[in-house]
Amino acid sequence: MTANTPFIEALRRIEVPGWLASERGAALDRFLATGMPSARLEDWKHTSLAALERRVWHSSTSVAGEAVCPDIASYPGHALVFQNGQLHCHGIYLANQIAGTLLDLANTQAVHQYLGQVADDTALANLNLALWQDGAHVYVPAGDHITLPIFTLFGAAEAEAMLYPRTLAVLEHGAEAILVEHFLGQTGQPYWQNAVTEIVLEDGAHLTHLKVIEEGAAATHTSLTAVRLGRDSEYRALHIGLDGALARHEIRVHMAGPGATTRIDAFDLADGHRHADLHLRINHRAPSGTSRVTYRGLAKGRGRAVFDGHVVVDRAAPKIDARQSCRGLLLSPQAEIDAMPRLEIYADDVKCGHGASIGNLDREALFYLQSRGIDLALARQLLMQGFANEALGLLDHTHLRNWLMPRLIAAMARRTLMEPTP
Amino acid sequence: MDNLELQRHLDTEYRWGFVTDIEQDTLPMGLDEDVVRLISAKKGEPAFMLDWRLKAYRHWLTMTEPTWSSVRYPAIDYQTLHYYSAPKTRDSGPKSLAEVDPELLRTYEKLGIPLAERGALAGVAVDAVFDSVSVATTFKDKLEQLGILFCPFSEAVIKYPELVQQYLGSVVPYTDNFFASLNSAVFSDGSFVYVPKGVRCPMELSTYFRINARNTGQFERTLIIADEGGYVSYLEGCTAPTRDENQLHAAVVELVALQDARIKYSTVQNWYPGDAEGRGGIYNFVTKRGDCRGERAHISWTQVETGSAITWKYPSCILRGDHSVGEFYSVALTNHHQQADTGTKMIHIGRDTRSTIVSKGIAAGYGSNAYRGLVKVLATAEGARNHTQCDSLLMSPTSAAHTFPYIEVRNPGAIVEHEATTSRIGEDQLFYLQSRGLDEEEAVNLIVNGFCKEVFKELPMEFAVEAQKLLAVSLEGAVG
Amino acid sequence: MLEIKDLHVSVDDKAILKGIDLTVKPGEIHAIMGPNGSGKSTLAQVLAGREGYRVTQGSLRYLDSDLPPFSPEARARAGIFLAFQYPIEIPGVANAQFLRSALNSQRGYRGEPELDAFDFLEFVKGRLAMLEIDDSFLYRSLNEGFSGGEKKRNEILQMAVLEPRLAILDETDSGLDIDALKVVARGVNALRAPDRAIILVTHYQRLLEYIVPDRVHVLAEGRIVRSGDRDLALELEAKGYGWLNLRNNCEEPFIP
Repeated sequence: MTANTPFIEALRRIEVPGWLASERGAALDRFLATGMPSARLEDWKHTSLAALERRVWHSSTSVAGEAVCPDIASYPGHALVFQNGQLHCHGIYLANQIAGTLLDLANTQAVHQYLGQVADDTALANLNLALWQDGAHVYVPAGDHITLPIFTLFGAAEAEAMLYPRTLAVLEHGAEAILVEHFLGQTGQPYWQNAVTEIVLEDGAHLTHLKVIEEGAAATHTSLTAVRLGRDSEYRALHIGLDGALARHEIRVHMAGPGATTRIDAFDLADGHRHADLHLRINHRAPSGTSRVTYRGLAKGRGRAVFDGHVVVDRAAPKIDARQSCRGLLLSPQAEIDAMPRLEIYADDVKCGHGASIGNLDREALFYLQSRGIDLALARQLLMQGFANEALGLLDHTHLRNWLMPRLIAAMARRTLMEPTP
Repeated sequence: MDNLELQRHLDTEYRWGFVTDIEQDTLPMGLDEDVVRLISAKKGEPAFMLDWRLKAYRHWLTMTEPTWSSVRYPAIDYQTLHYYSAPKTRDSGPKSLAEVDPELLRTYEKLGIPLAERGALAGVAVDAVFDSVSVATTFKDKLEQLGILFCPFSEAVIKYPELVQQYLGSVVPYTDNFFASLNSAVFSDGSFVYVPKGVRCPMELSTYFRINARNTGQFERTLIIADEGGYVSYLEGCTAPTRDENQLHAAVVELVALQDARIKYSTVQNWYPGDAEGRGGIYNFVTKRGDCRGERAHISWTQVETGSAITWKYPSCILRGDHSVGEFYSVALTNHHQQADTGTKMIHIGRDTRSTIVSKGIAAGYGSNAYRGLVKVLATAEGARNHTQCDSLLMSPTSAAHTFPYIEVRNPGAIVEHEATTSRIGEDQLFYLQSRGLDEEEAVNLIVNGFCKEVFKELPMEFAVEAQKLLAVSLEGAVG
Repeated sequence: MLEIKDLHVSVDDKAILKGIDLTVKPGEIHAIMGPNGSGKSTLAQVLAGREGYRVTQGSLRYLDSDLPPFSPEARARAGIFLAFQYPIEIPGVANAQFLRSALNSQRGYRGEPELDAFDFLEFVKGRLAMLEIDDSFLYRSLNEGFSGGEKKRNEILQMAVLEPRLAILDETDSGLDIDALKVVARGVNALRAPDRAIILVTHYQRLLEYIVPDRVHVLAEGRIVRSGDRDLALELEAKGYGWLNLRNNCEEPFIP
């Protein structure tokens, strides 16, 4: 059996809508031609998938393991719950054509038009395109404003399984929505989720997109979020990476329409042996665009946080205002933080800048808090929370905040604050 | 700068572009082991040197040219280059200035480089390298009285083999990268400096490089050692004639600073940049690295890069000794079709090591200008600090400016800060200056000089003046 | 309340304070003046317990205990408060969250019940009103993006919330325009109490027009070179520090 056998086997067993079969085959061929991304590639210099290649993966066989249909009511909005790649249960209140699974809605126009068209041609995206079994489709017709968040939960409970969650969100002219993707591990065994999310924002559309990664302790998460923005549209994203042995999330934003705005905030927690890698590429392809990035990475134990923030301004895109702020908090001698805040500018009428800093908790700030009677442990906790909070500035939706904050605080408390401070 | 002088600068596109008509001793085109042996034999080198060259050559054969940088150029055929070219002189080389070919002396006079010891740049000792060979070193005797060795590399190999053997390749090994390996195999000359313990070199040491011959690769090798407590300030300048084809320049510079020693290395690089259509020009693929080998050692690189069709260089510091300091100050200007991919690496190994990076990139015409830098803090570098400031100025809609910093931190007691901005030359600034009577060109020069000030102030006085003039000339017609 | 005898302090092995004697009783306000580099701020930092400030000789007693072994937070809980000359900006931590953490830390230490969010809000709003500070102050990140005046007012707000027994105001007046100075002074005066002592560290006499001190000390080259009542400050203003005939090692000239 060669390393490729599991992938070929997996494709053989997939029943698909007819029009996709040839695309799947072609995507798998492209993947097999390049193979898994290797550390020799500049883009993968800081993250190795070698461990992934040493294991034999199988595609998910059934909805196995514990029933996870969690307390859907605890998700403050519409919810679609997938487990091991298949729809498990849902609490969707939206009309069928607006939100549902990709399989159910496979024959709608939006899916035909966009599925596989927005995501970049990367090895892992090709693999997902070949092997996805189900996923979420969100379609918001022109002018519709959906105020309740739409949650998609991708649970994983099957050991040694490779899972290919896929999401396609299409917001027509002036539409608005909130999409929350929650990747949740329900087993301590290794598994691999390789997700792709494609987002199309037509002119004037507005999407708030939350992605929370809480994979199992031995799990690998790789994912691509690809976004295409039309004129005057807005994409606001929040990436929260808390769990999973290795997580690599790539966000590729194509600012195709003039006047588009992107704001990405991100917090990654890399403790224990966790490796958290966030790669952003914002490509300004049209004039008068604005992009803002705030990244906060915390590394502790033997954790490693990697941030690559790449802003490209094409020649055809004058009057661009692009800013990036990247801060790393390095709390232990075995931890590591790598940052690459890159600018690639081909137009002259631009205002672009980035700032990056990496260091420990600020001694002056600690002393200031202590001088007000706060003990060292609490002072450290306050500073760490403050550090994470800087990336949560966008979370102005009260219900979302109430849903997310306990998870974040629990993760911080569990893994960084309970340990003795040096 | 008064108007007359400005006019003079504007009139000359590349005023160092003349060819010196002189009899050359040139090896045939192409590279193989025999060429390496021939170069070594011409220099009368000891066996260790030939062995090292051959090892480097054999290693080079296994390597491929790097492609990771942002520069683009047609494939170089390494078999169509000459690897050795020297002015024909009596026997082995000039023993004194009196023996130097008068045509050569005139060349250097034209370049403004005085080889006569009573020259205008009094207080600067000069080693002049013409194509591949060192032609004259001034003030040598005075320096020797202090125990400072300053001579052509080829002479050092014969006179101070133990020092060369100890330090050559100890900072940039012959396996380091494609161009460094090539250089290690075929380098023909360069400068050698040794500053003994506790000695402060009383004058600036300077090397002036000039490429003259056609189709010639220039591969000089410089090695500077500052022993404990020593200090030296070293200046490097370069020019080449105007030619339609591209010429390869692949130099290696190694600096070693021992405990409490300080080396200040300044470069004004003005190789022929090619014409306005991008024809010709030097490919400047250079490896420069300094090793702070002892406690409190201090290495500082300052560069003003205005020439070359392509610049590919990353003067770096290995901060091994505790409390050692590394600095990199750079101005890189690309106009017409010039490309630059330049920056630095600061490797923090020792405790409380400090580094500062100030990079100013200016892109005009169709120029492409990239800063690429690595700041790496190893787990051992408790208390390490880095501050990086990278600014890019865009002067035309067809120019490009990139910033590619890599930051890798493994010590929680370290603080690394990086800031970068990219913007175009401010229209309101220009207008303000013009409304005070400056013409556009003057206004641009003023703004550009202000933009580069932090770097210029690190240069020795004569060089700072030269650098400002060079920027003005290189930017001619860049606005609008 | 505070008794300092022959205090010598070094920073990075450099002697800054070279024998300070100072006694402060409850209810008193002392002003410590002096040219730049005289050691005024060092004295303030030493009282608050900043790392790296080493007492090499002499004693520093507060309420019958020797101060040096205590951590900054222990001192704060025992009632020492330092208003910083340059308050630190802490992004992501809301002012309210910080104030409540500090107050509850101190209350817990004193065996008092913690204030819940509602009681705290009620309490702190009273203080805000007293200092004429807008409620929105509470929800901004601690000092982040505050103007110089706002930062100084925030220091006084913290003092009003934490109700210290000994407050040291380190150049609280510097960088304030006259209106902001009056607001700060009103706040400090409102906090005068028979069981509370205040030390004003200042370069200028101006602040003392609004907060009248009981004693004025002039610090130079690490020693108190003269002590007196309020008139000493006025005399200083009239004649400048040069009048004291100091060997002038200050970096900046004194401009009254």
